[in-house]
Amino acid sequence: MIDLLKKLFKDDSESKSRSAANDRLRIVLTNDRLNLSQDVLDSIREEIIQVIANHIDIAGVPEVTIITEGRQSAVDISIPLKPKGR
Amino acid sequence: MGKKTDSSQVIVVTSGKGGVGKTTVVANLSTGLAQLGYMVAVIDLDIGLKKLDLILGLENRVIYDIVQVVEGVCTLKQALVKDKRYPGLYMLPAAQTRNKDDITAEQVQRIVDELRQSFDFIFIDCPAGIEQGFKNAIFAADRALVVTNPEVSAVRDADRITGILENENFKNIRLLVNRIRPEMVKNGDMLSVEDLMEHLCLDLIGIIPEDQNVVISTNRGEPIILDEQAPSGQAFRNIVHRLIGEEVPFPNFDIKPSLFQRIKDSLFKK
Repeated sequence: MIDLLKKLFKDDSESKSRSAANDRLRIVLTNDRLNLSQDVLDSIREEIIQVIANHIDIAGVPEVTIITEGRQSAVDISIPLKPKGR
Repeated sequence: MGKKTDSSQVIVVTSGKGGVGKTTVVANLSTGLAQLGYMVAVIDLDIGLKKLDLILGLENRVIYDIVQVVEGVCTLKQALVKDKRYPGLYMLPAAQTRNKDDITAEQVQRIVDELRQSFDFIFIDCPAGIEQGFKNAIFAADRALVVTNPEVSAVRDADRITGILENENFKNIRLLVNRIRPEMVKNGDMLSVEDLMEHLCLDLIGIIPEDQNVVISTNRGEPIILDEQAPSGQAFRNIVHRLIGEEVPFPNFDIKPSLFQRIKDSLFKK
C-alpha cells in the first residue's frame, strides 16, 4: 500500500542530484562540525554497547546516530533491551 | 561630501572557497551604496592576489597599497583610490608583490577605525582560505556576509567559515547565495536557496541568479549593478536596500517541496 502511494506521488526527486547533494552535505557537515569520523562513531557505538551488554541483555541491533538541530548536534543512541523471562 | 549616517557598518565579505564571487559582491554592493549617496570604502585584503581594482575598473589609478600604508610609506588618504563613477566610493588596494603575513589584524583594525570617521560603509574583501588573511579580514568587522554557490564544496567551506565566525562571537552573519540557476533547482539538479539556508543555519541577505551579463560587465570593469536590465543587477540592488535597513521581499526562485517530500518530512521529523 505504501509502495503504491510512493509510486503515485514519487516525482523521482529521490534519484535527482539535488537530493544526493543534500544527503551528502548533511553527513559531511555534521562530521566537519564535530570533527568526528565514521570510525570514531563506530567505536563509540561498540564501547557503549559493551558497557550496556555487561549488565543487560541486548535485543536486536543498537543504533547510533547524530541528530542535528541548527548547528547543535547530539548523539542519539537507541539500544533495544531483551525483556526478562522470554 | 560627508557621511550620511552617524555610525559606520564594517562588513566583511567571506566564503572560505575561492571563486564564488566575493570580489564581485563587494564591487557591486559598494557601487550600489555609493550610487545612493553613501560614503563607501572598500578594502582589498587579498594581498598577493588582488582583483578588486580590476573588477571595479580602477586598475590604472592604483598608486599605493595597504601594505605601504601600514609601513608608513604613504598616508591612508594618499592610498585611497577614488572611483571614476561615484564621488563617495573609495578603494584601498591590496599589495600584489607581498603576502598575507605582511600585515596584522591590529593594523587592519587601525585602518578601519580611521576610515570609520569618513565612511558610512566599509567593505572588507576577504581572501579565500582560513589562514592569516582571513583572520585579518574578520578582526575589524561588525558583520559578515558569507557568499556561497549552490555546490557541495562551496557549502562545506561556507559552513567552516560560519563556524569560525560564530566562535569569534559574530552575531550578524548573513548568507548570500550567488550563481543560482532556478531552472536547475526546479529540475532537482541544483541545491535550492532553502537547502543552503538549512545546511548553513543562516538567514539570507540575498540571492543572485546566474547571469551571463556579469562576465560581459566584468570584462569592461563595470559592476553589473549599473546595468538596469540585468537580473543579477536587480538582485544586487535588492541587497543594497536590505543593507540600509529596508525590507525587500525575496523573489521566489525556489519551487515548493513536492508532495512526497512534504509527507516524508512530516513522517520523519524529529
